[in-house]
Amino acid sequence: MNCEHCKERQATVTVTQVINGQKSEKHYCEVCAQNFHPFNLDFHKEEQIPIHQLVSNLFGLPVWNNGVEKVQSTSQKATQCPKCGFTFRKFLNEGKLGCPQCYETFSTQLPQVLTKIQAGTKHSGKAPGTPSHHNEWIKKQIESTREQLQLAIADERFEDAAKLRDEIREMERKLDRGGVDTP
Amino acid sequence: MNLEHFLKSEAPGWMDVKGLDADIVLSTRIRLARNLDGYRFPLSFTDGEAQQIDDVVTQALMAINNEHKFSHFMIKEMPSLQRQVLVEKHLISPLLAKKEKSASVLISNDETISIMVNEEDHLRIQCLAPGLQLLETYAEASKLDHQLEKHLPYAFNDTFGYLTSCPTNVGTGLRASVMMHLPALTMSKQIKVVTQMLARLGMVVRGIYGEGSENLGNIYQISNQVTLGKSEEEILEDLQNVVVQIIKNERGAREALFKNSRIVLEDRFNRSLGILKYARIMTSEEAAACLSNVRLGVDLGIIKEVPLHVLNECMILIQPGFVQQYAGTTLQASERDMYRAKLLREKLNTNNQKLMGKGEERYDV
Repeated sequence: MNCEHCKERQATVTVTQVINGQKSEKHYCEVCAQNFHPFNLDFHKEEQIPIHQLVSNLFGLPVWNNGVEKVQSTSQKATQCPKCGFTFRKFLNEGKLGCPQCYETFSTQLPQVLTKIQAGTKHSGKAPGTPSHHNEWIKKQIESTREQLQLAIADERFEDAAKLRDEIREMERKLDRGGVDTP
Repeated sequence: MNLEHFLKSEAPGWMDVKGLDADIVLSTRIRLARNLDGYRFPLSFTDGEAQQIDDVVTQALMAINNEHKFSHFMIKEMPSLQRQVLVEKHLISPLLAKKEKSASVLISNDETISIMVNEEDHLRIQCLAPGLQLLETYAEASKLDHQLEKHLPYAFNDTFGYLTSCPTNVGTGLRASVMMHLPALTMSKQIKVVTQMLARLGMVVRGIYGEGSENLGNIYQISNQVTLGKSEEEILEDLQNVVVQIIKNERGAREALFKNSRIVLEDRFNRSLGILKYARIMTSEEAAACLSNVRLGVDLGIIKEVPLHVLNECMILIQPGFVQQYAGTTLQASERDMYRAKLLREKLNTNNQKLMGKGEERYDV
């Protein structure tokens, strides 16, 4: 088989690339392979620092594929955060956003990044101004500890049972004091 | 309170020896990341913005009626050795210690709460407690957060929750960590399995003396990675369940070790104690390893004369910043090893009687 690039020399090197789960194989001769090696490519591109690649890899966005990259960066230039001037590309480079407004600006692109590193893309915890559900959680804890206590008694593990009983008492005491323990 | 108060060579309040499962779980830490709406994140803000944020936060904290009293320190006004000591006490992060722009820290007088201003986010509220106390410590942090939100315009969005500079903190902004001493799991090589299991559950394991110090002294810090898509309660509950499971495994491994090789263990613990008491040159690695052995010896009832709180204190004191503070000057690595050995000898030999007395006093209160 001849090299896919120069089509002259014998192909001796196989380059396997996986981009977004899509596997592709290229066959090059030794001379052409050197030019096409992904690490060589990265060296020639000045702006590509390893950390950028790291972040982009983490977020599953292709770095190597030049064509795709160009298309993305032009479409992303259009959306620049009005408050801090960050673009989505800059966010990918830094791994961090510039200001709270960025979340609004990139609200359509962010979820694809967040699904990779978080359990979901929607906040389900507390919000400013809302009372915490702390008491309910303590109640749940008491409930489950009671179950453990029953098990311990059934198994005649009395030392454990005594410990669990004390834990329940402690939690109940906290509940009486409004969920916040102030020693 | 002046800065000297926070630099003294004692284990901080959160390293006391009370709390649930205090033999295995050394401490619990809760961290909340918060930002102010209308200001850029520290990554891209101006000096003016930084200054304003510092002022607004400090004023808010003075305005609220918390039972804790806070002291305010500018990072850039601190000599580097003092910054290092605060890092080693876990009162500030290594990142904050490097900041020059209007970065500051507010520390409660008992050292259980610290608020870092203009670190990666505008605010990092951190609460520390001894033993396994995820619920209680979170309640403390949440209470302070609730008081602050009345005075500060938090950046919050219904979809993404509390907005943070890095998307790994967005949502609850909550990072809960538990510091655990796991010598038996390490000795029996089970720790690898535990680490892999934790990664699958969205949790991370780190060493206590920072990144790269993986299992120095067999101490591991386990924390949640996920902050979005789970509520605070779910995050804490998941971590709690995992930690309880690890405690169970560690206790099992300890029992098995003790049963199978009691004399080997006794030898190892007592040798370590001897090294700590009499060595003249001590690297931090060796000191951490010996302290871990002695600690396990105390937990298993083999070593009786060393109180746990002395060991806790030593663990903090063997770090380079503290050793240099003890010497009163900056030192080369080889000089540090000599001072470290001296410090440990003092803590474990001559002061033993006195420290025992002090320990008993604490229990009487």
